[in-house]
Amino acid sequence: MALVLHTYKGNKGAFKALVAAEYAGVKIEEAADFQMGVTNKSPEFLKMNPIGKVPVLETPEGAIFESNAIARYVSRKNGENSLNGSSLIEYAQIEQWIDFSSLEIDANMLKWFAPRLGYAPFSAPAEEAAISALKRGLEALNTHLASNTYLVGHSVTLADIVTICNLNLGFATVMTKKFTSAFPHVERYFWTMVNQPNFKKVLGDAKQTDAVPPVPTKKAAAQPAKPKEEPKKAVQLLHLLIRE
Amino acid sequence: MALVLHTYKGNKGAFKALVAAEYAGVKIEEAADFQMGVTNKSPEFLKMNPIGKVPVLETPEGAIFESNAIARYVSRKNGENSLNGSSLIEYAQIEQWIDFSSLEIDANMLKWFAPRLGYAPFSAPAEEAAISALKRGLEALNTHLASNTYLVGHSVTLADIVTICNLNLGFATVMTKKFTSAFPHVERYFWTMVNQPNFKKVLGDAKQTEAVPPVPTKKAAQPAKPKEEPKKAAPAAEAPKAADEEEAPKPKAKNPLDLLPPSPMVLDDWKRLYSNTKSNFREVAIKGFWDMYDPEGYSLWFCDYKYNDENMVSFVTLNKVGGFLQRMDLARKYAFGKMLICGSEGPFKVKGLWIFRGPEIPKFIMDEVYDMELYEWTKVDISDEAQKERVSQMIEDAEPFEGEALLDAKCFK
Repeated sequence: MALVLHTYKGNKGAFKALVAAEYAGVKIEEAADFQMGVTNKSPEFLKMNPIGKVPVLETPEGAIFESNAIARYVSRKNGENSLNGSSLIEYAQIEQWIDFSSLEIDANMLKWFAPRLGYAPFSAPAEEAAISALKRGLEALNTHLASNTYLVGHSVTLADIVTICNLNLGFATVMTKKFTSAFPHVERYFWTMVNQPNFKKVLGDAKQTDAVPPVPTKKAAAQPAKPKEEPKKAVQLLHLLIRE
Repeated sequence: MALVLHTYKGNKGAFKALVAAEYAGVKIEEAADFQMGVTNKSPEFLKMNPIGKVPVLETPEGAIFESNAIARYVSRKNGENSLNGSSLIEYAQIEQWIDFSSLEIDANMLKWFAPRLGYAPFSAPAEEAAISALKRGLEALNTHLASNTYLVGHSVTLADIVTICNLNLGFATVMTKKFTSAFPHVERYFWTMVNQPNFKKVLGDAKQTEAVPPVPTKKAAQPAKPKEEPKKAAPAAEAPKAADEEEAPKPKAKNPLDLLPPSPMVLDDWKRLYSNTKSNFREVAIKGFWDMYDPEGYSLWFCDYKYNDENMVSFVTLNKVGGFLQRMDLARKYAFGKMLICGSEGPFKVKGLWIFRGPEIPKFIMDEVYDMELYEWTKVDISDEAQKERVSQMIEDAEPFEGEALLDAKCFK
């Protein structure tokens, strides 16, 4: 039985596993006929992931949810490789950047992005706090990347894969050139990585948004969709903003 | 060299590593003399963690930040054990629950807790969304624990350690018995785990809060970050109490300022002139001020906030100044002040100009208003034209002020 990834197309969480698979030489099938909001509410799906979110990886030994955990599994599926470092300290520092990019970058970027797209309640003070926290995270990342090409060691690790997939969503949705120009080493890192063949194969041509999405009107602000599940192309998928 | 953990006492993030250390037989020293808000801002610390947060684990081979990553390192320090599962799928499922408990439980619990303690802006719709998301996460966890004693396999793994440390903070702060009774399997799991010796050694006696902390009043809106703990936790807790305390009925003590020799300047006349002058402010109000100012009966003071590097978020900075002016209420008869918040982006600089009855800053104000010691106070020398001009500019909200735009100017009158 192959590894089957259940997800909607364009899910940043799924990209992490798919890029890791390219580096680790692991074969992953994407589940055919997956319908966001339908498939992930079925009893079979909820047995795999009781919270009903995506992506979920089905393996012969059991299912795994949480995109970072799936990427970790995939990275080790074919045994040792350079994705997880070559010592205990390297492994730990890879984990540190994985968590950092999820909690300091991705979480704050989503707090900026999701309300503007109507996925969460909008509040100007909360947005200001989120942007301030995001800048703080990017400044720290920028400092580290001033003297490091990769997050850990001298080649791509899982830390780079997770961080780049998170940044890719940020660049595409809310982080304009004006915003990211304050973090030149992060920019260098981002554009170099997304142009590596294994990244490009999965992410396609990475784009940077020209503008921040506007603040929502009251009509758009009433939708309670969850950012982790909804694709970044909100225009195409607003009709999926069904109440969970 | 031992493993050294840099943290403040009681940090839930640090507990994860310490419990893992108990299970894995790893020795961890906690850094002595760690001062939250001071040690973690030093250049040496920032080399270990550029974002300056805690906990950080110092090892002979390098430093590690992010509490889950530290716990993973500690769990593997002494080689293989049961904390990380016995197969690839078990390992992956341990990782899945670690991430789940951080993103679905902890993150939402903090979004509920932090604003109520004044660590983040409060908004009822956002809190409702956070509680809804937290319930969704706990429901999923509850379903899993209906048929599983441990998150993965048949013994404690790192997933349980991380999840229990996260839940422990939630139980202690916002999740009352009434709230958690909807998740009985989570309750069973929680109380069983916190009573295991290795958990109890680190967490102590786990407690469940009786009530949700109240929604903060504007006065308590202090800008600390929940992951780091507020630097001014003591004054922040005292300030709402000081402001809300009922004045005990007691014989009215004479204010020493009332015993000063009478002055030709009447502060209320100045306040009226200030408020009523709608145009030609400089020619009418500022000139009028200097005409009526009595340097024998009153004194002028500049103040500068000592911790401007904290002022990164505009509304938080404005709240801070607003709180100061509210606490000055007891001095209203004897003072007039202007507070300028300068800059077009953080860190904003807070600069003030005050006139007080008497030759010194009144002692009762220094004693009663804790904000006073957060500012540097300098008496204005009115024989110095530059200082006089600065006074005038601060009264009239001159912009740019000292080369910067004004975010806001607040008046105490």
